[in-house]
Amino acid sequence: MGEILIEASLETLTMVFWSTLFSVVLGFIPAIVLTITAKDGLHPNRPVYAILDFLVNVFRSFPFIILMVIVIPFTRLIAGRAIGTTAAIVPLTISAIPFVARVMESALRSVNSGVIEAARSFGASDTNIIFRVMLKEAVPAILAGITLTIISLVGYSAMGGAIGAGGLGDVAIRYGYQQYNIPYLIVTSVILIIFVQGVQLLGNYMYEKLS
Amino acid sequence: MIQITNLRKNFGTTEVLQDISLTIEDGEIYGVIGHSGAGKSTLLRCINGLESYQSGSLTVDGQEVSGLSGAALRNFQKETGMIFQNFNLLNRLDVYDNVALPLVCWGKKKNSEESRQKIMDLLQLVGLADKVHERPDNLSGGQKQRVAIARALVMDPKILLCDEATSALDPATTNEILSLLLKINREMGITVVVVTHQMEVVKQICSRVSFIKDGKIVAEGKPEELFILPNPDVRQFLGGIPDILPKQDVNIQLFFLDDTAGDHVITDLARERNLSFSIVWGKIESFRNNALGSLVINIKNEDLEVVTEYLDSHKVRWEKMEEEA
Repeated sequence: MGEILIEASLETLTMVFWSTLFSVVLGFIPAIVLTITAKDGLHPNRPVYAILDFLVNVFRSFPFIILMVIVIPFTRLIAGRAIGTTAAIVPLTISAIPFVARVMESALRSVNSGVIEAARSFGASDTNIIFRVMLKEAVPAILAGITLTIISLVGYSAMGGAIGAGGLGDVAIRYGYQQYNIPYLIVTSVILIIFVQGVQLLGNYMYEKLS
Repeated sequence: MIQITNLRKNFGTTEVLQDISLTIEDGEIYGVIGHSGAGKSTLLRCINGLESYQSGSLTVDGQEVSGLSGAALRNFQKETGMIFQNFNLLNRLDVYDNVALPLVCWGKKKNSEESRQKIMDLLQLVGLADKVHERPDNLSGGQKQRVAIARALVMDPKILLCDEATSALDPATTNEILSLLLKINREMGITVVVVTHQMEVVKQICSRVSFIKDGKIVAEGKPEELFILPNPDVRQFLGGIPDILPKQDVNIQLFFLDDTAGDHVITDLARERNLSFSIVWGKIESFRNNALGSLVINIKNEDLEVVTEYLDSHKVRWEKMEEEA
C-alpha cells in the first residue's frame, strides 16, 4: 500500500506542479490583455475585451473530463503521447489557463485606480504602469489566486486516471472504490486533505507576508 | 505660465467645463475653489494632460497640451508634479521606493549616488528623513501626503498640481501641509495650482483664486477680495451672514480690505460724530498674515447720511444691507 501511495502522491505533485506553472505563465497574457482593454483599463477596447472574455468563459464552462478527451490530439502533439502523467499536464494546463486569466484579471483590476493615475501624472509608460505599479500592488491578490488555482488543479488531477495519468485520485477510484478497499479510500482522501490544507496555509502565510 | 482660453469639456452630454479662461503666472500659488462636482478637479487634470478637452486652448509655457501625445506628453507630465486627496502611494513600497518610483520609471537607478542624494534631500525637505523605510500603512495621513509631495518633486517639476490635497486631513495637519507647499513655492520657485473646497487653503497660501460653479468661473481675484466682498455665488458658497441681524433701523456692512482693519474707524466714527450704534456681526480673517475683515453695524435711519459720508471720507467700503423678505 505504501509504495502505491508514494508513487501516486508523486504523480499528483508532478501533474499539479507543472500544470500550475504553465497555466500561470500562459494565463498571465490574457489577464494582462483583459486588464488593459477593460472599460476602466489603460486602453479600453471593447471588441478585444468582448472576444477574449467570451473565450475565457467558453473554456471555463467545459467539464474537465470532456475537455481532456477533446484535446487528446493536441496533447499527443505537445506531449508526444495521449496517456500518462506527462500527457495529463496538457489538459490540466488548458483547463487552468482561463481560470488563472480570470483570477489575475480581477487581482490587477482591484489595484487602486488613484495609484495608476498618480503614475500617469508623472509620465510613466504603460509598460511601467503594468509592471511597476499594477503587478507590484497586485502581488498578494495574485498569490491568493495561484493558491486557488493549485487547489482546483488538485481536484482536476484526480480525474487524470481516465487517461492513465495515475495520481492519488486514480488510486482512490481503482483501489478504494472499485475494489471496495476502504483503507485506500480513507488514506488517499487524508493525503489530499493534508495537501490542500498545506497549500492553503502556505498561501495565506505568503499573502500576509507580502501584503 | 499656464494660459487657459475658452476651455470647454464635456463627458457625454454633460458640460463639465464651460468657457474657462484664466492665466497662472510662473511662481505663483493659484487657487481654484468650488463645491465638489463643480469641475475643478477636471480642470486640474486638463493642465497635465490626464484629461482631454473638446475646445479652447490650454498652453503651458506656450505649449498646447492637447497637441501632445505619446512620449512628448509623458515628457511634459514628467515636469508637472501632482498630489492627490488620497495620497495614492503604493502600499507595497516603502517611503524611499515610493519617492524613487518616478525616477525608476524614467530609467534611473534608484540606488545610484545621484538618486539617493535627491531622494534623501527631498525627504529632508518634507520632514520624513527618519521614515525612509516605513511602509505607507504605518504613516499618518499628513506623513503620507508628505511622501506624495516628495514623489511629485523628484523629477524637478516646474508646476505642482494639488487636487484636494488637504481635504482628508485634520486642521492642524492641513496647516502643516500648507506651510510646506508655501515653502516649496518660495524656496524652489515652483508654480503651485491648488484645487480645493476648503476656504482655509485658499486664504492661507493663494495669491489669486478662481471660484468655479457648475463648470464656469463666477469670480476671480485675490482671496481677500473674493471672500470679504463676495459676489452672490461666492456668498452662497461661504454660507453668508447668519440671520441674526436686527430687523429695525439700517444694517450697514463695512469691508476692511487692507490695513484699515487695524485702524480705529469704528470707534472714531462714534466719538467724532457723537453717534451710538451697535455692532451686530463681524469677522476678521487672516490672509497670508494680513488681517482682513467685515463688520455689520446697526444704525438709526436718521444717521445714515452722516455715517456713509464718514465712511466714504475714510475710504472704507460699505454696503447697505437689503432687508430680506
